[in-house]
Amino acid sequence: MKPKRFTLYLAQAVLVTAALILTACGGQPADVPPGELTGTLSVLDWAGYDAEDFWIDFKNTYPNVTVNFEIGISDADIYAKMAAGNQADVFHPYTGWLQFYVDEGLVDEIDTSKLTNWDKVPEHFKQIGQFNGKQYFIPWDWGFTSVLYRKDMVPEGVDSWAALMDPAYAGHISMWDDGPAAVTISSYVHGYDETAITDEQLAAIQEEWIAQRDLNLFYWAGEPELVEGMSSGDLWVAYAWQGAYATLLGSGVPVAYANPKEGRNSWVGVYGIRKGTENLDLALKFLDAKLAEATGNNVVNLFYYGHSNQDVMSGITDEALKEAFSIDDPSVLETTNFTPNLTAEQRDAWTAMWAEVKAAP
Amino acid sequence: MDRRTTFWFLYIPPLVWLGAFFLIPLALMFAYSFRPDMRGDFFGGWQPSLDQYSKLASTSSYWRLLGVSGLTALIIALSAVILSYPIAYFLAFYGRQRAAFYLVLLLVPFWTSYLLRVMAWKIMLGTEGVINSFLSYLNLINEPLTFLLYNRSAVVLTLIYVWIPFATLPILAALQRIDTSLFEAAADLGARPFHQFLRVTLPLSLPGVFAAFFMVFIPTVGEYVTPLLVGGSRGSLYGNIIQDFFTKAANWPFGSAMSMVMLAATLVLVAFATRLINMRDLLE
Amino acid sequence: MTAFRNSFPLRAYFFGLIGLLYLPILILFLFSLNSSTFLSFPLQGLTFRWYEQLFDSDALLRSARNSLMVALGSSSAATLLGTMVGVLMLRYQFRAKGLLVAMAVLPLIVPYIVLAVALLLLFSVLNVDRSLLTVGVAHTVVALPYVLLIVGSRLAGFEANVEEAAMDLGADYPTTLRRIVLPMIAPAMVSAWLTAFTVSFDEFALALFLAGTQPTFPVYLYGQLRFASRLPIMIALAVLMMVGTLALVLIAERVRRVD
Repeated sequence: MKPKRFTLYLAQAVLVTAALILTACGGQPADVPPGELTGTLSVLDWAGYDAEDFWIDFKNTYPNVTVNFEIGISDADIYAKMAAGNQADVFHPYTGWLQFYVDEGLVDEIDTSKLTNWDKVPEHFKQIGQFNGKQYFIPWDWGFTSVLYRKDMVPEGVDSWAALMDPAYAGHISMWDDGPAAVTISSYVHGYDETAITDEQLAAIQEEWIAQRDLNLFYWAGEPELVEGMSSGDLWVAYAWQGAYATLLGSGVPVAYANPKEGRNSWVGVYGIRKGTENLDLALKFLDAKLAEATGNNVVNLFYYGHSNQDVMSGITDEALKEAFSIDDPSVLETTNFTPNLTAEQRDAWTAMWAEVKAAP
Repeated sequence: MDRRTTFWFLYIPPLVWLGAFFLIPLALMFAYSFRPDMRGDFFGGWQPSLDQYSKLASTSSYWRLLGVSGLTALIIALSAVILSYPIAYFLAFYGRQRAAFYLVLLLVPFWTSYLLRVMAWKIMLGTEGVINSFLSYLNLINEPLTFLLYNRSAVVLTLIYVWIPFATLPILAALQRIDTSLFEAAADLGARPFHQFLRVTLPLSLPGVFAAFFMVFIPTVGEYVTPLLVGGSRGSLYGNIIQDFFTKAANWPFGSAMSMVMLAATLVLVAFATRLINMRDLLE
Repeated sequence: MTAFRNSFPLRAYFFGLIGLLYLPILILFLFSLNSSTFLSFPLQGLTFRWYEQLFDSDALLRSARNSLMVALGSSSAATLLGTMVGVLMLRYQFRAKGLLVAMAVLPLIVPYIVLAVALLLLFSVLNVDRSLLTVGVAHTVVALPYVLLIVGSRLAGFEANVEEAAMDLGADYPTTLRRIVLPMIAPAMVSAWLTAFTVSFDEFALALFLAGTQPTFPVYLYGQLRFASRLPIMIALAVLMMVGTLALVLIAERVRRVD
């Protein structure tokens, strides 16, 4: 046979064989029993969520699937990593930071018909993950933000977000180290429209927080710092999520969680699937398991965060938790403000503002 | 194998390693600082622009902070060197057989986590901490002292504490290679112990002292962890702002621009200082 | 021989400072026995349960093992490469010498966070997954200058004519290096290795960015700092590590004295 022809036949043989092989193992066939399903899933998540408690349903259903966690230390970190081409299949951003993923084509629409637990998620949570009518994210954990304060040090109570800037508490205030949060608070206090902050308003907000810096003891980056400060009495008033509130209540520290007249804030954590992932099927199964009850119960009982599964929330019996989630007081949710999503320009402007607050002389 | 071939054996590995894992990454970052924003891929989809640098140039508080960070680092480095010199001296001349043991004794706390040690300092300096409890136990104070923590002084104290063992090492190395017969010679010539120190030991140990100083000064200019933990609201240094732009603002181009400026400033400082030191050598 | 006849002030200073250095360690030790999870005085009660729980904590122990591996690898690589540069710097003349020395020393000037992101960019471009190896690579780069300074300082201290003498007697350069130079700089190399090890084991900024799915101990610790309930266990491990090292050192000292 002539060399050229031989090469041609060889190429054809290889192609046919390859095609056969590919068809034979094209994706995971749907009828592999869960216990025998194998594969690797890679998840970009916050520290602590890699603990098995928080994906226990997935682990028990698919024990032979390996889940690798990569840790992101903040929403900005997670976004930057995804934008830079991180190959994680699934990742965990929070409200406020979702728009960019959609705008920049980093996430795929999620086929919710594949999620068996989807009907247990209340409608308003589902909407958090929707953009242009399409479901891009699955809501998972949620909670409140409000002003946490020591009842004994602040006997008059706190009824407004402005308490965080009150000179009466100088040296005993702690704010979360986050620019967008600062803008949010200022807009609650002054009645600005959070979605349309003007340059003048932003400059005023910057001045306000530079002044607040003299009253602020330290900016907290993680809940333990906050909890320590509150329990030792160094802090009297602080920006806090309800996890810290529940922790302190449980240890007998006399704290209260304010219902400011401007309304509390609420945030939701969601999971998204990276566009172009090869493990779409596994990712969907992972998200479905994330919505399941055992996982949800762990989130509530170990983290004191809320979970998006309705059944989990209605099954809470612990008094401290019920207090923290205001389960018995539905009026709280009515006045709660949900975090809107930032545009890229707002993100850049508001984080730069915060950096200038910290750098100011 | 002759001297020439040995040369290539010694030259290629470090060159390749440093080129690949030091120069090239920094060059990439330099390129990154010309990106207008985070959109688009690595190499495509964006036009180079000076946006980040012009934003940086127009924010005076960042420049001031860079200066403050440099000054703080200077204080810390000087203090660490001065405090660690007697330790190195003790180890070099009084350690005798136990010198290695003492040295490791010095270093062992540093095999405990840096983060936890700083947290422990927080406990020492805090309002319910060791110092305050002790002072109030002795009835010297009625209210706890609040100025010990969450300010720049706390940052300085903690960092000096952290750096002392490191600063000891180069000084020790320099002291160890001093020929001890020089001391006998000086003594024979009638020099008293303190004069021996000033005229013989100290000058000969200076290269180690300078090495120690720079080893502490330069990384401290970019330090961000300790200010974060004990510096309080006003304790942020330049490194904190860079870290914020990378990890909180998802603004790598601006963070890269700030980093490049800091690198340039430090390079200038070091070049200047090396010139000073060379002149000193010339004078002797 | 020594400059000061009375060594008492120096001795007192040394041990005083050691005491001060160990004070935070003592505090950590106290809190590892504290039954409350809050890091404030007064202590709530004494318990050993954190130490017990420690051994059930797989992830924590694995992170400690990871730190050990990275530190061993990177300190050895850094000592090797740094010594090479030192010898080149002080025993050879060549055109690009200034450049090489500058490259070797410059990592000191670059803040860790800057280098971390720069390396992250590099690994993203090369499509290399983040792992303990990438952390080790970074640690080698940052430890190199320390090695160079320590070993170079020692090399600078003795004249090259000892080596020339050896070569006059017929030894080739590699042999000279091995049998004359190396023994003379060995203590400095050990000192440099210890420094590089310390730099790596404790290092946080680079590891945070460059460790993929396997965290080193400081990274793991930082992650757990979010949860006050986990803190005492971390402290227990840190104390154990320290006690273990101290024990090793004491044993080594005993053994040496017996010789």
